[in-house]
Amino acid sequence: MEHRIARIVVVVILVAIAIVFLVPVYALALSAFRPGQQLLRYGITPESLLPTGFTMSSLHTLFTARDGIFLQWFKNSVVLLVLRTSISIMLSAFVGYGLATYQFAGRKILLSAVVFLMVVPIQILILPLFNLMIHFRLMNTVWGVILPFLVLPFAVFFFRQYAGSLPSELIDSGRVDGVSEFGIYFRIMMPLMVPAFGAMIILISLMSWNDFVWPLVVLRSNDMFTIPLGLNSLLTPYQDNYDMLLSGAFMATLPVFILFFLFQRFFVSGLGEGAVKG
Amino acid sequence: MRRHTMWVAMVLVFVGATTGLFAAGQQEGMEEASGPVELELWTFQEIHIAFYERMAELWNEQHPDRQVVINGTAYPYGDMHNNLLVALQSGTGAPDIVDIEISRFPNYLRGNVQLRSMNDYVDPVRDDFVEARFDIYTKDGNVYGLPFHVGLTVMYYNTEIMDAAGVDIDSIDTWDDYIAAGHQVVDNTDAWMTTVEATEQWSFWPLVTERKSNFFGSDGSVQLDNQTNIEVLEMLNDMVRTEGIARTAPGGFHHAEEYYGFMADGGAASIWMPLWYMGRFTDYMSDLSGKIAIRPLPRFTPDGFRSAGMGGTGTAVPTQGDHVELAAEFLAFAKLSEEGNILLWEELGFDPPRKSVWTSDALAQENKYTDFFTNGTEIFRQMLPLTEEIHPVNMTTQIPDAITLIQTEVMPSVLSEGSATPAEALRRAADQLRQ
Amino acid sequence: MPALSRPFKNQRYVPYVFVLPFVLSAGLFFVYPVIQTIIMSFQEIAPGLREFVGLDNYRRLANPRFYTALRNSFVYTFLTIAVLIPVPMVLAVLLNSARSGAGRSAFTVLRGMLFLPALMSVVVVGTVFRLMFASSESAIANTVAQLLGFPPTEWLLAGPTTAMVLLVLVATWRWTGINIIYFLAGLQQIPNELYESAELDGANAFQKFRRITVPLLRPVTVFVLTISVFGGFAMFEESFVLWGPTSPGNVGLTMVKYIYQQGFQSAQMGLGSAVGITLLAIVFLVSLALLKLTGFFRQGDE
Repeated sequence: MEHRIARIVVVVILVAIAIVFLVPVYALALSAFRPGQQLLRYGITPESLLPTGFTMSSLHTLFTARDGIFLQWFKNSVVLLVLRTSISIMLSAFVGYGLATYQFAGRKILLSAVVFLMVVPIQILILPLFNLMIHFRLMNTVWGVILPFLVLPFAVFFFRQYAGSLPSELIDSGRVDGVSEFGIYFRIMMPLMVPAFGAMIILISLMSWNDFVWPLVVLRSNDMFTIPLGLNSLLTPYQDNYDMLLSGAFMATLPVFILFFLFQRFFVSGLGEGAVKG
Repeated sequence: MRRHTMWVAMVLVFVGATTGLFAAGQQEGMEEASGPVELELWTFQEIHIAFYERMAELWNEQHPDRQVVINGTAYPYGDMHNNLLVALQSGTGAPDIVDIEISRFPNYLRGNVQLRSMNDYVDPVRDDFVEARFDIYTKDGNVYGLPFHVGLTVMYYNTEIMDAAGVDIDSIDTWDDYIAAGHQVVDNTDAWMTTVEATEQWSFWPLVTERKSNFFGSDGSVQLDNQTNIEVLEMLNDMVRTEGIARTAPGGFHHAEEYYGFMADGGAASIWMPLWYMGRFTDYMSDLSGKIAIRPLPRFTPDGFRSAGMGGTGTAVPTQGDHVELAAEFLAFAKLSEEGNILLWEELGFDPPRKSVWTSDALAQENKYTDFFTNGTEIFRQMLPLTEEIHPVNMTTQIPDAITLIQTEVMPSVLSEGSATPAEALRRAADQLRQ
Repeated sequence: MPALSRPFKNQRYVPYVFVLPFVLSAGLFFVYPVIQTIIMSFQEIAPGLREFVGLDNYRRLANPRFYTALRNSFVYTFLTIAVLIPVPMVLAVLLNSARSGAGRSAFTVLRGMLFLPALMSVVVVGTVFRLMFASSESAIANTVAQLLGFPPTEWLLAGPTTAMVLLVLVATWRWTGINIIYFLAGLQQIPNELYESAELDGANAFQKFRRITVPLLRPVTVFVLTISVFGGFAMFEESFVLWGPTSPGNVGLTMVKYIYQQGFQSAQMGLGSAVGITLLAIVFLVSLALLKLTGFFRQGDE
């Protein structure tokens, strides 16, 4: 009995905290349906959190203003996401498997390098990376955004842990059957790593969708912007784009939330296994 | 489930590869068509684009064989200036024409200047312009930027509040009068007399210039902490702290959305800003229509100046563009011609830098500005004498740093935080500039 | 796991093909840029100009703005760690206790609710927080402040204290959910028998938490600590979206923002690089300290 009361208390506390956490999300959702200028002038007030007095005009502006530039940003974000996620997941899995499977000179150093690069903030290197992009004439291009981060250390680490947990007998039997090393990977082992792919697809997509600093450096024209960059460009006091800003912020978030509710399991497993030593 | 995820991964890869090819192919296909020359233009103020587009129409009427099309993009202030710096440093990616804000302009005059000198267009008409407005964009005798306006700084009074307080705005001649009037406003109404920017320089800089002082000497020496400048900042500080007639601007500066809301609700009885601020009233504080009167600034001394030429955007032509000469000629037409200067007023509400148009009929026509302000069509006739009361601003390559220091350290530490006296704050900033 | 040691004839190059993408990527986009940063930090760089100026850039670091950036980065890192380890750990334990039986769906829903902020773009987060913490007295943060007996304040402008509070609040809001998931994953690894035997010994909930949960969560705690340290020193986006490139009183100035300002705003690539090298040195020293204290970077070696 005492145990049950304790559990109820715990749930009540957690619910209270979760509700506080949801206030900004709720405020965002409502703000998309309110006049932007009012919100910018007086902020999000308790009254504006009441679910009344909605207007659809902001959303309408969002999709029509400036020749539908928001849809262009959306498209850019999607293209980047697809390219980045598909390529970097293939490369990272490839490397991760190699690190897990083979014993070779330099392996330890590479493993340490992966772990080190996993945590070193790339923001430190924006200036030389930026010069590099100028040199390669990759400024303001899709490739400029994705190239430096095609092999993602955290994904390499994750795949390496995952590949390491697979039964090595399969590799041996492949060799006995005369399959080449690459054949073993692509035909036998990679299909077994599919659950890991699911988790990483979700995480890398999320990263790409919300990425801000590096695209901010590389992408220089409005029609190349991703949604976060586009929204950032609306935060200027010299133009009245606030309707777009708030409804755009909402529309940028909505697809991610929907995906999250569909695939919560993948989000969670991708993150969790990185933290627990494999 | 496994198969399903695998399938998703394969589709992703396929789609990724094809979009990649598609994107690459698209870039190849972007060949320039014959016909009008497209001039790429960057600005940080969307309304400027409309001006250039109107000027392009005029240009095309006069030059049927050399048609131009303006491809203008407005970026956030910081992004645009950063992008330009990047483009000039990397030698690629700059537009044909670009608006550069005055406090950033010196950044582009460092090293080998990558902008086209506009002297060949400026020299023939130089005498008809407010010379100080070329000086700010000049290095080694070359004018690199063409101005939008004089930036005549004036006082905007909310006549409704001033009347309620019982103050006759035309009786305010000196800053002492102004402060006395401020007490009347605060005592008799719910409004403040004025607001002071705590995160930008538009409250401080004009008064420094009005007192014929500068942040730098003409030789480039740091004078930010000279006695005059300290006194100016002390006056602002006193208005906020000891006199209690002013508050720091809600949102920090006079362009914040919070600020527009505050003013539209009658939060303060007056502010001093340049004439180009008229557009902010008409666009963002339309509630105040018919209530705002424009007057000269109060003076510091009986024979002192009553204005300053403030702010500005120099439009420049980067030398790396494909159409440098055409861009320069078009820009000169837009910014130096009489038609252009008239349009600067009609389209943007700017006080045009070409003096001869100030007395033209075109500037006495009714428009949304003359409807809004109580001066009506008399604005330019009334303010013309002030163009003779403008002390030149010395520009050096350190101006951007000085402005940043004023915005991020001097004004906040004195006005918002109260953690430094005006003298301390200015000295600290000046020491950093002298380093 | 033990890597295969069995020789595969004439295929010695194979492992290197596998790791080649990583080697190329790390070489081109990490090692080379680091070398470039070192070189640039001794140079003066302007359009059409590039010359060596010795230690000038490093000497110029002795200025109040740099010290502010350094202090803000350290304080922010420290505060975020002080909040973002204990709070998510306790919440994870509470959540975990609701996990079994009837609490199963409540668990999933609550975990999801706390995780939502991590899904949002920093630009969106910045916009929402700016509006909640707006200057106006009726804005929601000021309303709450007044209910608690504090005067309304201009959060973004009033000075370093409110600014830091705001930044830490944003970080807490964004990362609590993620860290909870890390700790939940760690809790899954703790064998239930440990708790059962402790219960037999008459241990109460707090004792179990202190004697079993905290020690056995140590690997996860080290992981979270490590990413928090580096995340803290790398902080830039949050400040950028709340204040823009500069902030009044430099309340939002961090090391990375200083690099960004110098490099892209003031056209001082050399000075920016000197800041970058300083930050890299700090990060490196911190890594060494973490290695020494926790063995985190040995993780890959097993």
